Amino acid sequence: MVVYSFYIFDRHTECIYYKSWVPPAQFHEDSTAANASRSANAAANDAKLIFGTVFSLRNMVRKLGGDDDAFVSYRTAHYKLHYYETASNLRLVMLTDTATLSMRNVLHQIYINLWVEYVVKNPLSPVEHKGGRGVRNELFELGLDQFIRGLA
Amino acid sequence: MRLPLFRTVFALIIINKAGGLIYNRTLHEGGLNKISTNDYLVLAGTFHGVHAITARLNPIKPPRAQRTSTSSTGAMVRPDPPSGLEVLESENFRMQCFTTLTGIKFLLFTDTTQTNIDLIMKRIYDMYTDYVMKNPFYQLEMPVRCDMFDRKLSSYIREINNR
Repeated sequence: MVVYSFYIFDRHTECIYYKSWVPPAQFHEDSTAANASRSANAAANDAKLIFGTVFSLRNMVRKLGGDDDAFVSYRTAHYKLHYYETASNLRLVMLTDTATLSMRNVLHQIYINLWVEYVVKNPLSPVEHKGGRGVRNELFELGLDQFIRGLA
Repeated sequence: MRLPLFRTVFALIIINKAGGLIYNRTLHEGGLNKISTNDYLVLAGTFHGVHAITARLNPIKPPRAQRTSTSSTGAMVRPDPPSGLEVLESENFRMQCFTTLTGIKFLLFTDTTQTNIDLIMKRIYDMYTDYVMKNPFYQLEMPVRCDMFDRKLSSYIREINNR
């Protein structure tokens, strides 16, 4: 089982957290600073595309399967995307390899054990995480990384 | 009363290469919500777009140098073509998408426990080639209105749903 990346979107559809466990794609040989800003830009664009995709698929699933139905995952020949939405419209998305089984419980665990514990219960963290403020704290990052590495 | 949903094929949708809905058939009542033809058209268009995006979202991008390399025999080696969404799972149903080489998409909605969907899809594609493509009055990219296809599809799916 390989986890490629993980995204959190808030209820304003903004990507407030992003982490990748894949080395960034190699661009042409130019300065590292330009390279870094370029791959950050690519990641931001990917996040927008992913949000658009899960949003459309979620609406499609609810239209066909009824309001109580929930979009769980989709798979292509190269990767699999897992989706979990909380009652407060916080959306957690994870990209893994195609052989992985359902990661719904894993995303749920991340929400309960990491998000609620380290972000929601943090008194210094704002209520709205505009631009990802308050999410990227040490405990959350460390806990997430350990949890994902412990899954394999 | 809802019928027990056990290994059932719910519906079939065929989308042409431009994203237009050309066939739409409910094969089992009560599996999916009833939505209007207009909504089906919107759904087909939306899915067509999403399918294109999912192909681009591949997290393991092949390195640029390997994109078109030459093997020792001198033949061009191409990486696998990007593949879009193949299977979508939700709590109530499962959707399998089969894309032909010409870009036509077959969407098959089934129960989450349905097995052998690849086989069913292949049979449906065979029927499409036999009864739609070989129909001299069928115009490419236009809605499928072929009696034979309807009948053969119904009897094949009825066989599966009643097993």
